[in-house]
Amino acid sequence: MLRRHPWLVPASFLALPLLVYGAFVILPTLNSLYYSFTDWVGYGADISFIGTANFEKIFTDRLFSNAIKNTAIWLLLAMTAPTLLGLSLALALQGKRRINTLYKSLFYLPICLSPIIIGIIWVWLYSPKLGIVNIFLRGIGLDQLATAWLANPNTALYAVFVAWAWQQTGLNMVIFLAGLTSVPTPLVEAAKVDGANYWQTLLKVIIPMLRPATVVVLALTAISALKSFEIIWVMTMGGPFNRSDTLAVFMYSESFRKFKMGYGSSAAVILFLMTLVIIVLYFRFAAAAEELYE
Amino acid sequence: MNRLEAPTPNPSRHLYGGHPKMREGLNSRYTAIFSQRRGDQTTRTNWSRLLGTALLYFILTILLVLFMVPVYGAIVTAFKSQAEVAAGGYWTPPASVTSANFDRVLDPEDGNLGLYLQNSLLLTIPASIFSIALGTLAGYALGKYRFRFDGLLFIFIVAGMFLPPQIALIPVFRMMNDIGLYDTLWAVIIIHTAFGIPICTLVMRNFFQVVPNALREAALIDGANEYSIFFRIMLPLTLPALAVLATLQFTWIWNDFLWPFILTQRAESRTVMVGILNLTGQYSVDWGGQAAASLIGSLPTLIIFVFFQRYFIRGLTLGAVKG
Repeated sequence: MLRRHPWLVPASFLALPLLVYGAFVILPTLNSLYYSFTDWVGYGADISFIGTANFEKIFTDRLFSNAIKNTAIWLLLAMTAPTLLGLSLALALQGKRRINTLYKSLFYLPICLSPIIIGIIWVWLYSPKLGIVNIFLRGIGLDQLATAWLANPNTALYAVFVAWAWQQTGLNMVIFLAGLTSVPTPLVEAAKVDGANYWQTLLKVIIPMLRPATVVVLALTAISALKSFEIIWVMTMGGPFNRSDTLAVFMYSESFRKFKMGYGSSAAVILFLMTLVIIVLYFRFAAAAEELYE
Repeated sequence: MNRLEAPTPNPSRHLYGGHPKMREGLNSRYTAIFSQRRGDQTTRTNWSRLLGTALLYFILTILLVLFMVPVYGAIVTAFKSQAEVAAGGYWTPPASVTSANFDRVLDPEDGNLGLYLQNSLLLTIPASIFSIALGTLAGYALGKYRFRFDGLLFIFIVAGMFLPPQIALIPVFRMMNDIGLYDTLWAVIIIHTAFGIPICTLVMRNFFQVVPNALREAALIDGANEYSIFFRIMLPLTLPALAVLATLQFTWIWNDFLWPFILTQRAESRTVMVGILNLTGQYSVDWGGQAAASLIGSLPTLIIFVFFQRYFIRGLTLGAVKG
């Protein structure tokens, strides 16, 4: 029996997980695709197929192009600032000194906090009169820079981004630290013997060896940047004047506030396709990194 | 897809000579050459090195202080009286420590956070257990058996890790309405179980792949069947991997806001993160109350962070570097 059906045993282990995964992850994903071609409003059974009308409409929707612009800014910032800061922290704290353990722990403490709580705390920090950001700016005589960070259309998106980056930096540091443990010490020592100074060793030996970790960090950051919704919702709800409205926030508002579920689904599908691009790029670069270093 | 294979611990050990003593010898020979060549410069090098280290830690400390400002703010505000906060002392240490804010947010007549905490536990614990259990089953099948399309199936499952929840939001909302689970904790439990399967499968498959096959073969010869091998021999071995997944799943599900926000409505099924966000409306000027609620809501994950940090970090990097 077993010999004739070698797939029977693994199939029995896989049945339940695949059933749950298929019913509650894959099926909804495919359904979303279907809804994006309908005009469903979120309640009742009235669904009619309207072809590509949602997509035609969305590409002329000014709120949508605004959300795309904000998402692009958000993505660009996300791939640079927290990545560089995370890398610098990992390089600075990679040694075995006891103090490093403490510093590392504190730098990645924000990882275990909910974006909701991070948002709430940062709202106080940005409070126009009593927030520490403005208190500090006034304290060093830069009164003209003090502003209502989250209510000012020019600063809202960036202010929320800083709060988001506060959490992301620690995560990136953890991944880079894991990457650093696989940089062979003798290689670094050899570079030193050959007379390379720290910066030369860093640029020519360590950073290239960190390529796999960097690919992972960039891919993960991009994906979590695309889907980040909570922290923006808590801090600005996409405002003021939709200036911090990203694609994830746009999708939520259209579907669950305006009850245009069909239209919202088409936004979700576009978000999904953007994620797909990143995943494909990731696997390409990951494979390339593999060929070089393994 | 090779990069999803089980991790080899510290490849440098394999690449550069096995024995630690040998590497030490190698290093000390380098050092010998190194100091010989630099000779008279040694003292200057030491001084500039010391200065560099001091500067590095000076900068790191400033950065750390800046980094900890939000945490510090939440802690001091939570323990201050409303009067003191209203007087403007948000960022100064409390003149007198009070638990009034905590009492207020936990009071069933006021903040009612106790109920939301209970709901979050009733959601997070089963959802973590179910997702890990299902992931263990799938991970075992994919890590220990070879069958047709096994690689493809593995990619199919792991790809779910990258799905943005937004793509499933509307259909799941509708499905839960249709099957009558909308506005119950079960709706959220089921979704977190399903969305946890990819990461749990990945970690468990990687784990089972490095468990020696000889173990299974020996048991087969002794007449054990496939299922008793899984339950009696394999499961007890998985404890470290289970600990890693438990910390990860608990933290994610506890902190999640989007799913309970979409799938629940009444206070009876409200989770702690949704409850805290609601409180910020109710306590719009009451920073003390908000801070106390934030601390209470973060306590379970902070406990994991303090006591199980090793597992949590391993999970983050396992899922990340190998995912």
